[in-house]
Amino acid sequence: MNPLPVRFGALCLGLVLLAAGCGGDGDAASPAGQTLRYVAVGAPATAIHDPHGGIGNQSDLTRFALLYDVLAKPGPNGVTEPRLATSFEPDEKLTTWTIRLRQGVTFTDGRPVRAADALFSLRRIHAKAAENFGRLQMFDMDAARVVGDHTLELVTTRPYAEVPRALESMTFVIPEGTTAFDKPVVGSGPYRMVGGNAQNAVLERNDRWWGAKPPTRRIEIRAVPDPQARAQAVISGQADVASSVNPATVRQVSGDRNLKIVHRPAVTMYPFVMRLDREPFDDPRVREAIKLAADRRELVDKVFLGYGKVGNDLLTPADPSSPADVPQRTRDLARAKELLRQAGHGDGLELKLATTTSYPGMDTAATLFARQLGQAGITVRVTNEPPDTYWTKVFAQRDFYTGFFGGIPFIDVARVSLLGDAPTNETAWKRPDWDAAHWKAMAIRDEAERRRALGTLQRELRDEGGYVVWGVGDGLDLTSAQVSGLPDGPGFDSAFIERVRLGG
Amino acid sequence: MARALVVAMLRALLLFVAVSALVFGATELLPSDAAESRTGGRATAEQLAQMREGLGLDRPAWRRYLSWLAGLCHGDAGTSLVTDRPVAAMVAERLPATLTLTGCALAVAVPLMLLSAWLVGTASPRWRGPLAALATGVAAVPQVVFAAGLVVVFSAVLGWLPPVSLLPAEGSPLADPRPLVLPSLALAAPAAAFGAGLLGGAVADTVRRPHVRDAVARGLPRHRVAARHVAPFLLAPTARVLALTAGALLAAAAVVEMMFGYAGLGELLVSSIGTRDTPVVQAVAVLAAVAVLAGTAVADALGALTDPYARGRS
Repeated sequence: MNPLPVRFGALCLGLVLLAAGCGGDGDAASPAGQTLRYVAVGAPATAIHDPHGGIGNQSDLTRFALLYDVLAKPGPNGVTEPRLATSFEPDEKLTTWTIRLRQGVTFTDGRPVRAADALFSLRRIHAKAAENFGRLQMFDMDAARVVGDHTLELVTTRPYAEVPRALESMTFVIPEGTTAFDKPVVGSGPYRMVGGNAQNAVLERNDRWWGAKPPTRRIEIRAVPDPQARAQAVISGQADVASSVNPATVRQVSGDRNLKIVHRPAVTMYPFVMRLDREPFDDPRVREAIKLAADRRELVDKVFLGYGKVGNDLLTPADPSSPADVPQRTRDLARAKELLRQAGHGDGLELKLATTTSYPGMDTAATLFARQLGQAGITVRVTNEPPDTYWTKVFAQRDFYTGFFGGIPFIDVARVSLLGDAPTNETAWKRPDWDAAHWKAMAIRDEAERRRALGTLQRELRDEGGYVVWGVGDGLDLTSAQVSGLPDGPGFDSAFIERVRLGG
Repeated sequence: MARALVVAMLRALLLFVAVSALVFGATELLPSDAAESRTGGRATAEQLAQMREGLGLDRPAWRRYLSWLAGLCHGDAGTSLVTDRPVAAMVAERLPATLTLTGCALAVAVPLMLLSAWLVGTASPRWRGPLAALATGVAAVPQVVFAAGLVVVFSAVLGWLPPVSLLPAEGSPLADPRPLVLPSLALAAPAAAFGAGLLGGAVADTVRRPHVRDAVARGLPRHRVAARHVAPFLLAPTARVLALTAGALLAAAAVVEMMFGYAGLGELLVSSIGTRDTPVVQAVAVLAAVAVLAGTAVADALGALTDPYARGRS
């Protein structure tokens, strides 16, 4: 047999492949490499198309962050990174803010993005306060107005120096007058919706977006509620990125060269929450004893398997205003027992600690803490409550339970759970002086000085409040080895995945 | 005949109302509601009251049930309390996934069931007992255990099949059949065993009938006896068992879909119970009930048509 035709054929095939590889922008050559398959936390059954209410699924939040422009997003070191907005200028009193928007931005249907669209969107978010934890409650939306095509004016109810931070992340802008949210609403973000089904959203790059061209042509977002299933999707090659996987999975796959772990520092916190208006937690000595009885290292090692940091009872250690000069609280059983004796519990104290399985390790944390408290002479009975009613029947109601915070900024924590008029003041932290100091701090124009004032507030809460913050866990994302550019900042930063790149 | 049809339809209607009322009542009895679920426990009492009013949850339960029923009569399954999307759309986008999964499961279960039933029914008396016991035993194993066992063997140890079954982003769930294998098997095995247990007795009874013995005595080949003298008697019970099995598969799909992360109707049902999304729960439960009712009706009709003794009458 003459081998020539075979070789000739192979040569031709090689040339064709080479030509395809070089042709165009390469999209056609490797369609698989141009689609990022992202598995996010979320229950497919509760997927929504309204970006202004409560966004419980990370899968929805990530999709919205790709489809819609936001006024600003969180940047490194707590600096606000402007997006659709180009500037935020306050008046003398810090109550009237002039916000200028980028010009020449259009929705994917061709309509221009105007100040009126932004204000319409902000008003909707404001009106849906019950669902979005009062995200924009600092504003008086009746007083807000459109000043020009690309300029709007917002008015706060009190002097509020942190307006740019308040407008970070969730300020998704949709066309003015939109009323139907049973289908995806048109946006102006880096991607647009092209399809999907019950579990998936398929997005394609919006080539008319104003920002730097995203490296990936197509992104598929899948909602999967179970962390183990998310990880398995990447391990079995059905996906490229799995958001928020279990520490145990990370330990298991470490050393696998086909996989990578992205650590997002300080995003998971399961503080133990004590109500200050109920016995025995109304006694500051009891609260301090409980904080002193915690073996923080052991908790971090067993709950987060070491992927995290020991806590110092500061609720927002990653916030730029978090005080850095506070000495680390360490375990001191003798002092804890002495405090309990002084408080009249010398011959023992019995407590009931509630927990649940909503987030991996919450139940372990409570069981372990109960054992640690036992060594200080406190008998704790742990009750494991069903996750579907925990956040409505136990959280913010019981006097001793396991809470959750997901790396949100201090001003958000203050608004939802610390100020006197917070919708759920879960520890009953009701201190008019603290509230007054908070509002005074928010009226300080100078950033460094304001951060110092906010830091003092956090310090008081650490010493006298009802939170045992024993540690913060890393957010752990699992990716295939060829993924790069996944965001690793705290909080909402992780939703902005338009810079993620596949291959090289 | 006409009277029988009316009676059958009335019975189906009554059953439908009873099932939907029962599901509604059960969801109502659970603590918490969709308004609390939507606000995530972070709303004031005032905001919650407002939200309940907006969702219509401030009305008494019986009125909400009646208006749901009235809506359904007009072909409106309502709006989800959690996502604000039409319930019909939420159910419709999941129907193909669950139909594909249960279809695959049935394709495996039915031949397996018939074969096992034949084995049990025609076994010698010494073996029939143990075989029937084996079928009952397998039928009693929950799908969870099957699913876990299959994942351990085929994913963890052999690495042949994925342990999770995500829907493909676009196109039919059958586009990549590999993720369907394990959930289908987890559904099929207990269903086949359950059906075999029920049908085994019918096979045994039929082969003992005088005309079968007569045919065997006349020296007819075995396969002809099976096809002409045994099978007609088995059609009606088989149809009934199939109707039951299909219903049971839908219920079991809820468990299996959750385990494999497969976004079908079962997963929708379980998640919606979690968020107290009553209209969605109602829609899925009623759909499953209708499937079982329709299956039973078809089985009854088939039974009446194929009953060899009924031929020539009425």
